[in-house]
Amino acid sequence: MAPSNPLANWERLGDSFYRKVPIYDAIFDEDVELENYIIAGAPYGGAIALHRDESKPYRFRDAQTAKSSIDIYSCSGKHINRLNWEYGTIRGLGWSDKEELLVITEDGTVRRYFGLYGDFTSFSLGNGAEDYGVRACRFWTSGFVALLSNNQLVAVSNYDEPRPKLLAPCPEGEVSSWSLIPPAYTLSRSVEVLLSVDKTIYLVDPTEAEDKVLQNGPFKHASVSPTGRFVALITSEGKVWVVSSDFQSKYSEYDPESRVTPRTVDWCGDDAVVIAWEDEVHLIGPNGVAARYYYDGTVHVVPEFDGVRLITNDTCEFLHKVVDVTEAIFRLGSTSPASVLLDSIDLLEKKSPKADENIQRIRPSLPEAVDTCVKAAGHEFDTYWQKRLLKAASFGKSVLDLYNSDEFVEMTEKLRVLKAVRDYQIGLPLSYEQYVRLTPERLIERLVNRHEYFLAIRISEYLELPADRIYVHWASQKVKVSTVDDEAVCKLIVQRLEGKPGISFELIAQTAYDEGRAPLATQLLNHEPRAGKQVPLLLNMEEDEIALDKAIESGDVDLVNYVLLHLKTKLPLSSFFRTINTRPMASALVETTARGQDTELLKDLYYQDDRPIDGSNVLLAEALDETNLPSKTEKLHLASRLLSDSKDPSVVLQQKLLAEASQLLKIQETLDKDLADRSEFLGLSLNEAVYRLIRSGYGKRAQKIQSEFRMPEKTFWWLRLRALVAKRDWGELEEIGKNKKSPIGWEPFYNEILGAGNTKLASLFVPKCANLSADDKMEMWVKCGMIVKAGEEAFRAKNVNALELLQARASGPAAAEIDRMINQLKPRK
Amino acid sequence: MAPYPGSDADYFRDKARRDLLNLLEGVRGKKNLVVSQDLAGPVGLFVKFSLLQEYGVDRVFLLENGNVDSTQRNVVFIAHAEKIRQVRAVAEQIQRLQRNGNVEHELSIFWVPRRTLVSNSILEEAGIIGDVNIAEFPLYFAPLEDDVLSLELDDSFSDLYLHKDPGCIFHAAKALMDIQQRHGYFPRIIGKGDHARRLADLLLRMRKELDAEESSGLAGVSARGLLPSASTESLIIIDRQVDFGTALLTQLTYEGLIDETVGIKNNQADVDTSIVGPTAVPQAQESSKAPQQSSKQGQKRKVQLDSSDQLFSQLRDANFAIVGDILNKVARRLESDYESRHAAKTTTELREFVNKLPTYQLEHQSLRVHTNLAEEIMRTTRSDIFRKILEVQQNNAAGADATYHHDAVEELIARDVPLKTILRLLCLESCMSGGLRPRDLENFKRQIIQAYGHQHLLTFCALEKMELLQPRSSATTTLLPTTGAQPGTKTNYGYLRKNLRLVVEEVSEKEPNDIAYVYSGFAPLSIRLVQCILQKQYVLSLIRGGPITAATPSPASASSPGWLGFEDVVKSARGATFSIVQKGDDKAVRARQTISGTNAAKTVYVFFLGGITFTEIAALRFIAAQEAPRRKIVICTTSVLNGDRMMDAAIEKGSFAKIE
Repeated sequence: MAPSNPLANWERLGDSFYRKVPIYDAIFDEDVELENYIIAGAPYGGAIALHRDESKPYRFRDAQTAKSSIDIYSCSGKHINRLNWEYGTIRGLGWSDKEELLVITEDGTVRRYFGLYGDFTSFSLGNGAEDYGVRACRFWTSGFVALLSNNQLVAVSNYDEPRPKLLAPCPEGEVSSWSLIPPAYTLSRSVEVLLSVDKTIYLVDPTEAEDKVLQNGPFKHASVSPTGRFVALITSEGKVWVVSSDFQSKYSEYDPESRVTPRTVDWCGDDAVVIAWEDEVHLIGPNGVAARYYYDGTVHVVPEFDGVRLITNDTCEFLHKVVDVTEAIFRLGSTSPASVLLDSIDLLEKKSPKADENIQRIRPSLPEAVDTCVKAAGHEFDTYWQKRLLKAASFGKSVLDLYNSDEFVEMTEKLRVLKAVRDYQIGLPLSYEQYVRLTPERLIERLVNRHEYFLAIRISEYLELPADRIYVHWASQKVKVSTVDDEAVCKLIVQRLEGKPGISFELIAQTAYDEGRAPLATQLLNHEPRAGKQVPLLLNMEEDEIALDKAIESGDVDLVNYVLLHLKTKLPLSSFFRTINTRPMASALVETTARGQDTELLKDLYYQDDRPIDGSNVLLAEALDETNLPSKTEKLHLASRLLSDSKDPSVVLQQKLLAEASQLLKIQETLDKDLADRSEFLGLSLNEAVYRLIRSGYGKRAQKIQSEFRMPEKTFWWLRLRALVAKRDWGELEEIGKNKKSPIGWEPFYNEILGAGNTKLASLFVPKCANLSADDKMEMWVKCGMIVKAGEEAFRAKNVNALELLQARASGPAAAEIDRMINQLKPRK
Repeated sequence: MAPYPGSDADYFRDKARRDLLNLLEGVRGKKNLVVSQDLAGPVGLFVKFSLLQEYGVDRVFLLENGNVDSTQRNVVFIAHAEKIRQVRAVAEQIQRLQRNGNVEHELSIFWVPRRTLVSNSILEEAGIIGDVNIAEFPLYFAPLEDDVLSLELDDSFSDLYLHKDPGCIFHAAKALMDIQQRHGYFPRIIGKGDHARRLADLLLRMRKELDAEESSGLAGVSARGLLPSASTESLIIIDRQVDFGTALLTQLTYEGLIDETVGIKNNQADVDTSIVGPTAVPQAQESSKAPQQSSKQGQKRKVQLDSSDQLFSQLRDANFAIVGDILNKVARRLESDYESRHAAKTTTELREFVNKLPTYQLEHQSLRVHTNLAEEIMRTTRSDIFRKILEVQQNNAAGADATYHHDAVEELIARDVPLKTILRLLCLESCMSGGLRPRDLENFKRQIIQAYGHQHLLTFCALEKMELLQPRSSATTTLLPTTGAQPGTKTNYGYLRKNLRLVVEEVSEKEPNDIAYVYSGFAPLSIRLVQCILQKQYVLSLIRGGPITAATPSPASASSPGWLGFEDVVKSARGATFSIVQKGDDKAVRARQTISGTNAAKTVYVFFLGGITFTEIAALRFIAAQEAPRRKIVICTTSVLNGDRMMDAAIEKGSFAKIE
């Protein structure tokens, strides 16, 4: 095959060149009258959706073709799928960059078809779309905006969890054209819309509609460049303007010299505008220079971020700017090192010595020349020239001593992949740039969507990418289409996927279940290694107990709770309890959730489980929460009754104490009535009540309660001591001190009274502390400020040292006294 | 695995901050933040309020208060999706906002640490799932210090032991997976306790699932899943249940005592201004204010307690007995430094001094705060009641006959000492000696209920459920030293006290030579267990009754890994004992070892499931200092715990006094 001229189809546009590369030919049947179709192409060389434009008359052939439908083709014209359409007038047809087809009907229903084969999800736009109707839609890579007939704009920016949002209300008037700026390129980080109304253009974002104050409207077209920096407008006089997207400056103007308004206005990269009529395309570069292309039939323009695809019945072409590296090599008369390097290949093949001469001449810039050739190879569509350029690069780098070949190797890999997918049977005409942006992973996804499993696996093998999704997709498809019995399908799938890590059997099982093959789903699920993943499906399949077990096995509390929530609403209470009964984690979680929310459930649970103490505790807690006395007592009574059957000593004690609680409440109520005008005693603990009674001077009543509740003597003495000290009732304390014995000893009296600051009274108790050592007592006396007494203590113990220490602290008569004692002790020595 | 330099703490701090700010950036314009109470503190650990303001946060509300300002258009909720109560609260407040605001709200929820199925179904039930933007804020470890990572799950203790809700184990496993994904998986997982075992199992399972998920079918083994880490030695998991006793004791280090008396939360203590003076130095002391600190809180002042305060890092792990000395020394040094200004003769010297002045002032302020704080604590520790409590505790820990102290406890009850303190003493006795005699228990029950109210019947039930306070059953009466009746059902302190030498009376508080210094003579069992893994030689010589000399770095434990040598002893502590080797591809391991060199210090992660006390942290730091050249210890925990917080989990808050 003769090599094509690399300069073929180059067109000079100002300073740069554009070229139109024919990629495929013989695209559509003669029968497909392209002029009658609305056409939408997925980005990155993706599939093309065709829908007959219902506003146009068409030739009736037979009933079959007369039916409304959406046809999906690959770029090479391979018919992928047909979606029969019976859902009303289509107002928007577009693609997301995941190659999901979006169809929006007049009533605001959005259908999202994923996987090209008719699976879809749908949602409604709401926001008045049903009432007013959708007029048109504009798409960007991950969302779209719908224009309603009342000029409202509804934006959807995420298809996985679609939340149609109303943009700011826009002014009245006829919208003559409109366009959007994707969120990635706006300042507000949200989608913005350009609306051409009357003579001007409004910029609408979620909060406001800003008038850009233009005079040359109504604009028949408005189109935003891929990076959102420029806007192309068709003025009312039919001129093309290119302005900045803030409408502050105008860059160029072009007069297409045509009365007819172009059908579409698109951008070819960021530097040129493509306007198209039925069979004519103008490419307008900076400063209004233009190139014109004419066609025999209708031509459709599918924009890409780095160029446009031109689709006619016969051909699919890619029109794009010639990149610098390519230009440097192929431009007529180019003397760039890379160009020389490419020439040397020819010379080399002719065995001409000039090859070496050439190399020597460009020696200093050889590394760049090699780089340039490698890059240029990527941008070439023709394999002949790809090979040529790589050969040149290879020759060049063989001359170099040191050269990092990584890029070279990578490029060869990429080119192999590109060649494989560009094949007309696959029909993905990716440019190099598009491939880099799309990423290999998503390319594989697209192949999988086209059911090109073999190629997908080969490519992931080649690029060392995970292949599990391909297998899963394959298996799901197998499940869908196979007609053999479940056993065989399962066996086939398991056999094929054995030893392949990362396979999500759960997804395959889900498909099986969706297809109504529940037994197959169960079989497949058993092969899923991740317990947690199986749970939602098992629930759907009503395999409740297995689901619960798997959830517990996964250790994920959220999953368990989720299953429990589900089961609780679904099962009758008794069988719900039976289910959780044997699973301690489940019943613990049920208890935790029910606590404070659903005490009735708790009571039932404890009753069913025969846990009387827990059940009685729930009632006790409720008693605490009650706000009036009768209901408190009532609940306590119930709580106590639950325990009445048991003989267990700890239960008996529990019951006794519950009874005591009611009794105490009753007594406190009387106390409140008798002694206080407001609630003062109710709810106190027994000790607190006794303490308060004594402090308020009701010692008798306190004593009565003590005996009634058999409060230990020691406790009572402590309470009385503390209460009297708090009351500063020194007389009473002194009175108590006259007792012979105290169950708590006398030391606490000393301490507490001293702590309250009454040294005199405190000192009274020092002699009563019989079992303390002399040293301690001395210390006690000193603390009361009675040095002499301390001295006497020391004297009795015959402790001269202590006395001497005391002497230092004493003064006046006390000092003399101490002196005397020391002297008394000393002589005897 | 990630080539991120710096410590785990820095990494997690940065990551959390980045995650939160990115999320906030996604909400346009001014916004109000509604944060649940248990997240407000941790968030304050890594982001300052001023920074939040830069990201458009106008005001911050607490979820629990339910007082969101409805005039702001953007409202962002940050709450735990795993806590159903919080999810319901969020749903309720969103409904309320939608009902009575005249503004159309833009609502967002950031679920911590992940979006859950239950939260979805609750929002769905409330009919609002379509109206809110939902995002995940994967906050797991909040770094308290460079060597302490905490999940800050305050409820983890009660969840685990009272409600038997294993949610925090899952949470912990996820958090540890983060560490594994950063460094490669732990070559060895060693642990003690049933919950610890469950955590280890979860980790193994998650790794398997991760392998299944991430790996490619075709790439070589090298790209498949994670490799064993070259920089990590092991993960040690200790279940709190193994050693309740230690946590019940009163902590005797400085930081521990602050926690006991004032309480430390998220590195901050609320101290009365009468003690530390009013907030005079906001820029220095409160470097990172918690965001909720918008309202004036009466007479409390937040004191930041972390290593940014040099003096505090010197004091925190010291036994309280010597804190006074250190403070004195520092005060004297400061003074002499300060006096050096007179010595300054030339202008350069003078300039030098002036340059240092701000540091002096900072130090001075911190010195004042800590002196006052220490004095305040001293007031408590000197009190008659504190001494009595300590005596009972020490005797229990030392294994003396507990019934001997029952009178003292009864007296404390009659003197209306806080209930927590009493229960701590009883629980301690129950833990240390395998339960109380039924008659004694009954007696105490009656007295406590009479003293503190009948609602505490519920408290006792809860304590029993947590196995903190139990009657001594016939099965456990034989819990005598040397013969554990049923090994593994209960921690046999009697046996372990002897065989792991928990009581070290001759320990020096000034120059600690054994971890026992943190409790003035009692070595925390939990940490002894860690020593059984890391410092075998030392523990062996201790048991043999050798003199306590500072542990010398023993030869690498590679020769006797895991529990080797202590299997029998450890059986007497409660729960499962395990040591699991996570095997990887040998070749890859060796290759990595050659690359990274074998001499680099390896990290040991010690994870305390159910909470850790400050004293245990101090003890672990003590070990870390001894092991410093060869090992680094990173302490991880579900939360910081002390005995009072353990009791809080059980104590019934309601009372019969509630009446309209």
